[in-house]
Amino acid sequence: METFAALAHGMAVAIQPMNLLYALIGVFLGTAVGVLPGIGPALTVALLLPVTYKLDPGGSLIMFAGIYYGGMYGGSTTAILINTPGESASMATALEGNKMAKAGRGGPALATAAIGSFVAGTIATIGLAFLAPLLVDFAVKFGPEDYFALMCVAFVTVSATFGDSPIRGLTSLFIGLTLGLIGIDKLTGQARLAFGVPELLDGVEVTTLAVGLFAVGEALYVASRRHHAEEKIEPVRGSLWMTMEDWKRSWKAWLRGTMFGFPIGALPAGGAEIPTFLSYSTERRLSKHPEEFGKGAIEGVAGPEAANNASAAGTLVPLLTLGLPTSATAAMMLAGFQQYGLNPGPLLFAERPDLVWGLIASLFIANVMLLVLNLPLVGLWVRLLAIPQPWLYAGILVFATMGTIAAKPSVVELSMLAGFGVLGFLMRRYDFPIAPVVVGLILGPIAESQLRRALAISLGDPIVLLQSPMSATLLGIALIALLAPFVLKGLDRFKASED
Amino acid sequence: MIAFHARLFGAVVALSLAASSPALSQQLELKIMAPAAPGGGWDQTARAMQQALVAAKIARSVQVTNVAGAGGSVGIAQFVNGAKGDGNQMMVNGFVMVGALAMNKSPVTLEQVTPIARLTEEIQVIVVPANSPLKTAQDLAAAVKADIAKVTFAGGSAGGVDHVMAALFAGTIGADAKKINYIPFSGGGESLAAILGGKVTAGISGLSEYEGQIKSGKLRALGVTSEKRIPGVDIPTFKEQGIDLVIANWRSVVAPPGITPEQRKVLSEAVEKMVKSDAWKDILKQKGWEDAYLGGDAFADFLKKETTRVTDVLKSVGLVKS
Amino acid sequence: MTDSDLPQGPASRRIDPAGLVVAAVLAVLAVVLVLDARQLPATTMYGMGPEAMPVVIAIGLGLLAIGNLIDALRGNLPPRESADPKPVLLILGGLALLIAIIGLGGGFILATSVLFVATSAAFGRRAILTDLIIALVMSTLIYLAFDRLLTLSLPAGPLERLL
Repeated sequence: METFAALAHGMAVAIQPMNLLYALIGVFLGTAVGVLPGIGPALTVALLLPVTYKLDPGGSLIMFAGIYYGGMYGGSTTAILINTPGESASMATALEGNKMAKAGRGGPALATAAIGSFVAGTIATIGLAFLAPLLVDFAVKFGPEDYFALMCVAFVTVSATFGDSPIRGLTSLFIGLTLGLIGIDKLTGQARLAFGVPELLDGVEVTTLAVGLFAVGEALYVASRRHHAEEKIEPVRGSLWMTMEDWKRSWKAWLRGTMFGFPIGALPAGGAEIPTFLSYSTERRLSKHPEEFGKGAIEGVAGPEAANNASAAGTLVPLLTLGLPTSATAAMMLAGFQQYGLNPGPLLFAERPDLVWGLIASLFIANVMLLVLNLPLVGLWVRLLAIPQPWLYAGILVFATMGTIAAKPSVVELSMLAGFGVLGFLMRRYDFPIAPVVVGLILGPIAESQLRRALAISLGDPIVLLQSPMSATLLGIALIALLAPFVLKGLDRFKASED
Repeated sequence: MIAFHARLFGAVVALSLAASSPALSQQLELKIMAPAAPGGGWDQTARAMQQALVAAKIARSVQVTNVAGAGGSVGIAQFVNGAKGDGNQMMVNGFVMVGALAMNKSPVTLEQVTPIARLTEEIQVIVVPANSPLKTAQDLAAAVKADIAKVTFAGGSAGGVDHVMAALFAGTIGADAKKINYIPFSGGGESLAAILGGKVTAGISGLSEYEGQIKSGKLRALGVTSEKRIPGVDIPTFKEQGIDLVIANWRSVVAPPGITPEQRKVLSEAVEKMVKSDAWKDILKQKGWEDAYLGGDAFADFLKKETTRVTDVLKSVGLVKS
Repeated sequence: MTDSDLPQGPASRRIDPAGLVVAAVLAVLAVVLVLDARQLPATTMYGMGPEAMPVVIAIGLGLLAIGNLIDALRGNLPPRESADPKPVLLILGGLALLIAIIGLGGGFILATSVLFVATSAAFGRRAILTDLIIALVMSTLIYLAFDRLLTLSLPAGPLERLL
């Protein structure tokens, strides 16, 4: 039980009053920058890293952990309150979270996000401590064909975001897939659909699309309907806090979200988006209140938020065991370790256990700080919605553009944001679902490049997709998930006609 | 809290002291553009320069801006057009930009900027999984010659240094570079998984990225691309194995076009001073970067030669139309 | 979707022009994808080339164009409430001005203030001067907090240089 002793020692270091203060400052700064749409946790850490240089190593690491968690939570806050996902991983949160906020349940939504992140972060940290060596073996064996199969599973589950008409849902999805083609092809370096515009060569930024469709599109839509009965937002209806019922509905979603987030986050190309989608559609399928989905179901916030946070801890698995940053965020964490004199790698756990456990303890403390800082603020946050409508939406638009202005201040990028805003408006007006567009943009390119990698390795032989047991299993799951609804419907009809 | 305030206060005092100092170079207020998103190699280089220039009191203030896009094509276009004649601006760039500009048919080229200095470089390595039958670079060469399609290389982005190196390897041993089966991955983590999991024959990367795996015995290094053996690294070079493959992933800093010789001199001297400062040396050590300072006309020459070499290779693999 | 979902009446059976436009746009997109894919050089030696996926997506778009066309012809579309174009144009005008100001180096404060005022006017506020003052104060504070305190670089123009 050396692990526990080491963790306890790390904790002892991290909870010194000075370090707690650093954690608090870090969480605060991280949240302040992280709330800007388009500035995710990685960028937040990159921008604020210089602030930590001035501290001693221990303090800087703990402040760093605080910034990281603050940045991640900031994205969810805007997703819930103003329907503006700060990063791609909090898109799923916006789907139900914003509906809840509009129904006066922003308090419970923010609370379940914060507590869910905490629960998931804690479980995942324990998982990191005990399962890292096992998980990394699994992660390394995951080849391109397996990723492709995982994407197929994810694609099937997307239908949960389709709404009532499959044709309209698929139309949205294909618009997203088309947008995903734009830019340099990863495998051959050829430009597709860029029409000679250099800014398009890197493709469409997920956050630009999400902020345009969600925030700008909605502002336009609400403005166009102002002459109808004005939509009244009540900041608080019922309890500001989570009720017993909310807790009951949340805790399972937190656990399931963690189960998706941690292992997929540990995969070198797993990322945080896929587990959040998988969690969302799972919650939707399993919920006892499926009719609330699309209108503000708390499970739809609890699950994806937990998945998001757990996947962040998951990325630490390859980072600490293989020394490899597998995401932009992990790359920034690596930079953070380096200033602490830590060189992650296969020997790290053996050579410097004190530092590793110190770091894990810092992450844990930062997670607690996040809860301490944000739960009391929930009441303040939701009151933002009481701002008169003209100022509220004007503020939202300023905020939405500001993320892009800070991250990529180019005319092309801002024009894309406005263009996606118009698209979002038209799609709302003509009743096409929004979320599948973003999902298509995220999943399409990954699925394509993994499939092509698998085929390049096999010299074009598609049988490779079925040879790996993992990919065969995943493709089977995808097929079952695809056909099951039709079969069940058929059975129902069969039964109905028998009656 | 008191300690924190004391530190903040200290920082403020240090800043104001620096500001009131009379030396001319300390009046420098520089802007360094990293033509990439925060977090990557160029951004880290720019921020390292910022740190060192300020710490060594060479410049009064340094601001880092990020203009991300297309391997630096967007950044350099903005730099060449927007910073023309401005002696207070610099841009970080590197090997990858050479290929990216050629592949993206960029209207702006590296010939337009004013070269200042090469700063760092990283040696490249070819690795195979520990259980691979290939033991030496010659084994790999033999396998490539036997059936080039079956030898899969995992590495970074298409047209990047890893890809160029795979093509050079094939060309050097007399195989058809156009036929290499090179599979680009999005990041080191992904390609490492593909190598460790035995999905590909060999992997190409910067040495530091896989050093831990090599030391722990999970990967076997077949060769490094340095001219001579690197002290402390027990891996043979390709050259000593009879394969003339020398390449490095370098990073450098350039100034805008149209600056006066005096302005160029000020910037070159500032960078030279920075490279010699303890602050810079500390950062290099911390990040594991290799010092590869090359200033003045020597660097301008180097830049020209690299551009020709890389463009030729990319033409040979069909990424750039000749 | 079945017909019983829709409000019954003559209006719901009419051909929907918006649906026709959607179908046409999808068809055009499909054609653009195929044309773009055709100009890609065939350099891929092994496996699938960069042109394969655009073609697959184009086929999907083509099928969806047909599906949307059928829906539109049958008038199978959900009912819509009328929309007022004026506020939408006002906000878009604000966004266009914001882009122009940023592009021409007018700076962050001016650009976001214009957007703020345009949006709040679109939502029915008529006290433009008050809103302008609020916007200027707010964006100046945001600029100071993020640019100066947190070293985020926001575009600077004449107003920012005064600070």
